[in-house]
Amino acid sequence: MGPECAKLSIFFIVSWLCNGVRSNSVEQKIYVLLNNTVPCVRLLNATHQIGCQSSISGDTGVIHVLEVESDLDWVLSSGPNPPYMVVMEAHLFNRTTMTRMKGSLRVAGVAVVIPKVGPPQGFSPHNSCPNEGSGVYSSSYGPELAGCNTTVWNPLGNGLSYEDFSFPIFSLREDNETEVIRKCFREHNVAVNGSTPQYPLCAMQLFSHMHAVTNTATCMRRNDIQTSFGIRPEMVCDALSDYNVWGSVVPLNNTAKGHQEIQSVVIAAAQLDGRSFFWDVAPAGEGSITGFVTLLAAAHALSTVPEPERNILYTFFQGETFDYIGSSRMVYDMEKGTFVIDLENIHSLLEIGQVGLRSGSRLWLHSDPVSRRNSTVDSEVGKFVKNLKTEADGFSFSFAEPDITQPLPPSSFQRFLRARPIPGLVLTDHQSAFNNRYYESLYDNAEYLNVTYPPSLTAEEQLEHVTETAMALAEVATVVARALYRQADGDVAQLSNISADPKIVTQMLYGFLVQTNNSWFRALLSPEVQNILGPHPPQYYVGVSNSPVNTPTRLVQYILANLIGTPRNLTQEQCQNPEGVEGESKELYSYYWVQGPVPPNSTQGEAYCVRASVRLTKAYSPAFELQDYSSQNYSTWTESRWKLIRARIFLVASRELELMTLGVGVAVLLTSLLVTYFVSTKADLLFSSSREPASAAY
Amino acid sequence: MNLERVPNDEKLNLCRKYYLGGFAFLPFLWLVNVVWFFREAFVKPTYTEQLQIKAYVKRSALGLLLWVAVLTTWITIFQHFRAQWGEVADYLSFTIPLGIP
Amino acid sequence: MTVAVFFGCAFIAFGPAFSLFIFTIVKDPLRVIILIAGAFFWLLSLLLSSLVWFIAMKASNNEDVRLQRGLLIFGVMFSVILQEVFRFAYYRLLRKANEGLAAISEDDHSTISVGQMAYVAGLGFGIMSGAFSMINILADSLGPGTVGLFGDSQYYFITSACMTLAMTLLHTFWGVVFFDGCERKRWWVIAVVVCLHLVVSGLSFLNPFYVGSLPPVYVITALMAVWAFFSSGGSLQNLTHIWTCRRNNMDSS
Repeated sequence: MGPECAKLSIFFIVSWLCNGVRSNSVEQKIYVLLNNTVPCVRLLNATHQIGCQSSISGDTGVIHVLEVESDLDWVLSSGPNPPYMVVMEAHLFNRTTMTRMKGSLRVAGVAVVIPKVGPPQGFSPHNSCPNEGSGVYSSSYGPELAGCNTTVWNPLGNGLSYEDFSFPIFSLREDNETEVIRKCFREHNVAVNGSTPQYPLCAMQLFSHMHAVTNTATCMRRNDIQTSFGIRPEMVCDALSDYNVWGSVVPLNNTAKGHQEIQSVVIAAAQLDGRSFFWDVAPAGEGSITGFVTLLAAAHALSTVPEPERNILYTFFQGETFDYIGSSRMVYDMEKGTFVIDLENIHSLLEIGQVGLRSGSRLWLHSDPVSRRNSTVDSEVGKFVKNLKTEADGFSFSFAEPDITQPLPPSSFQRFLRARPIPGLVLTDHQSAFNNRYYESLYDNAEYLNVTYPPSLTAEEQLEHVTETAMALAEVATVVARALYRQADGDVAQLSNISADPKIVTQMLYGFLVQTNNSWFRALLSPEVQNILGPHPPQYYVGVSNSPVNTPTRLVQYILANLIGTPRNLTQEQCQNPEGVEGESKELYSYYWVQGPVPPNSTQGEAYCVRASVRLTKAYSPAFELQDYSSQNYSTWTESRWKLIRARIFLVASRELELMTLGVGVAVLLTSLLVTYFVSTKADLLFSSSREPASAAY
Repeated sequence: MNLERVPNDEKLNLCRKYYLGGFAFLPFLWLVNVVWFFREAFVKPTYTEQLQIKAYVKRSALGLLLWVAVLTTWITIFQHFRAQWGEVADYLSFTIPLGIP
Repeated sequence: MTVAVFFGCAFIAFGPAFSLFIFTIVKDPLRVIILIAGAFFWLLSLLLSSLVWFIAMKASNNEDVRLQRGLLIFGVMFSVILQEVFRFAYYRLLRKANEGLAAISEDDHSTISVGQMAYVAGLGFGIMSGAFSMINILADSLGPGTVGLFGDSQYYFITSACMTLAMTLLHTFWGVVFFDGCERKRWWVIAVVVCLHLVVSGLSFLNPFYVGSLPPVYVITALMAVWAFFSSGGSLQNLTHIWTCRRNNMDSS
């Protein structure tokens, strides 16, 4: 584009900028913005910072695509144009290569190309002993079991998620954009038969500058200073937090907090969240979804029979991945008397862990060997195990107990045990080490859980298609529901009426693993929250305290309300405020205005009111409530803030060309200075015309 | 103000004001004094007030030097140990750097 | 390191204009006023032409690539004509204001001749048009990237700077020749200036085929320089005179 055209366009750029539209033709000529990227961000706890960050103006490096591990030598030693931006295949994203790069100044950043299916040998960036510092086992409680001394739960865990990298790391989806990067690399950066590659070279710039640093105490202190003294407060980090979901079979009065005289409650728990190496991508399929879907299905199965003697409390904990944020908060609230029941009201507890990957026909009932040394607890646990085993008769699987000396796997139950020796069990599909080969990783997704559909089906047919995984989980849910009913002293004659619906299980799996925007979810949600649904599964990363309620939390809240609640004949206004309506109580129930299913040959469903004893409570770590930012007892995880996350590729010019431009510029400047000086001193001579003395200027 | 056009006693008065003003923790006034009156004090041919002006300029320069030394030392120490001091340094900082210990 | 490109391009594009400004304009406030006013007149012409282009863009079909190209060419040509119209308007204004300007000038004896006004006004036009065509590019030359991902030449920045340099100088020379033509009522001179402006702007459509656009533009610049030299009172005689003066000085020293 020539100067004239440029002038015109520049004028419009100036005027468009005023309207807030950014478009710049020169910039478009230079940069290709990568849209499908997810960064790794910085998280902090009481003692450490983990994750990645770039410098404030972004880190730039010449792209080098790593296909085999030996290519790393080019990056780390032999390549002539450091620093390098390493674009690597996912199979190279392991501890060995990352450690090698971590120590090198020749690495500007890393972009990992993530395929849909994980490596067959397994991959887990998580710790091999998840949440070891915040569980029940410590030097004062079963010291011989602390720190995964007897059982390493996640042997595949390489701990990359808990490393601190000083360069940015982004993930790229395997798509057109990665193809553009590879093409750019092949065309510009590949050396032809051994020679060094010629400029211009293809480069990449990654922006992920993190505000927080060192640890949570430091960043919270800086938050405080900023808000109290700063002219323009610039917060640096936020606590990881969201909401727990709870629901009960017999409604609990939400205004009466603390100990309840006549209540004896069986808690059925599951965890809601997960994580991966990268920010806000956490499919958590086997890790969390199998557990809470089973619990939801069991809750639904129990809603069809008369209420048992004891109450059953379903709890879904958020933020468990980060040192049990949700469960520690609930236990804290129970201890402080700010929850609807307290610890004394708890009769027993059943937690459903990872149950989607059965190897053989056995599920495992884990219990705590330390509290079982007490004979009352031991006999209660024994009864509970017996209940479960009885109910499993006639099903395709059976329950088994691991060795009595084996500790509990990482579970929310551990936080309850820290407060009180409650009899309880953790139901999982693994005897010792996890069956899950992709624990807290990007690959723990629908494909891994075998939630796949014949390609001929439409989205609506897929939603109804009962997968084998759903069948298996429905069976587990049925047994769990019956065992809970028996545990809650329900009428034994009703047991055979309790059975989980595989169709509902498959619909839930579809919604939580494939896409949330499906007719079933739409029908269960209120019209106002429909916007959280999308053509993809939700992310199960817990998120930070100042954001709206996390999508999975919202979904589970509404689904649980629909599954265990009852429709009421109320108008929308009455549903929003049922005060004064005969037989309704805001204290005992929450009221949900839901959209309702869309009947065939219609576009709009009939909305109606559902009441259920389902509520949200804060999953905000007590450490922040107590302002004890270096707490040993409670989760102190915070997420750093940032301003800009961006990745772009472009070409960089050679040093020679740049210096040549500068040289020409300096030469032009000096020459023109000299010439002008000379001409202006001699102007009167030069321009003294005999024709026209009047215009004799110079 | 063009010093050329100011009578000598006025110059002395001005120089003294700047010198005294500098004691109100305003070392920049001393800097201005030194720069502004340097020619008057040391270059110009002698006149009666020049001796006093000379003294003020010298003292201003000395004070300025002291300030520069103190400030440089403090800034060097603070920048070097800021990360190490942690909490104290954060409270001493006016702007807290983002993403730096 | 792309700072080098930034300064290189800035020096190329604005070095000559800067040195002309320093050595010939800045000493005389009257000239500064005329320069700024000239730049303002050029801006006015740009404002008008972009308004027309904006309306044309909004009114036309965005998908039609050929139509858009045609519109762009039309816009550029229209803009060139407008610039020359404004140059003429500025000439008339300066002519009228000549006496007034002389009155406000500090020293009574330094009235400004039409030839000087022509040069200063032309430089004002040149500096403003140079700034508008280059500043955006300069901002992006800071990097870290350079053009070429879509197959563009990597000499984009330096050629843009060279083109801007030529445009700045051309505007200066055109100003001198144009005012001279107006003064002597030689309308063919004005016609030639407008045509050359059209040709130069048209040549920029050859980009990124820089070999096709840059050399002709520089040839035209050189020719215009010679013409402007002669039209503002220079002659071969003067040149040889200066040359010999120098020679004599050297000999004598």
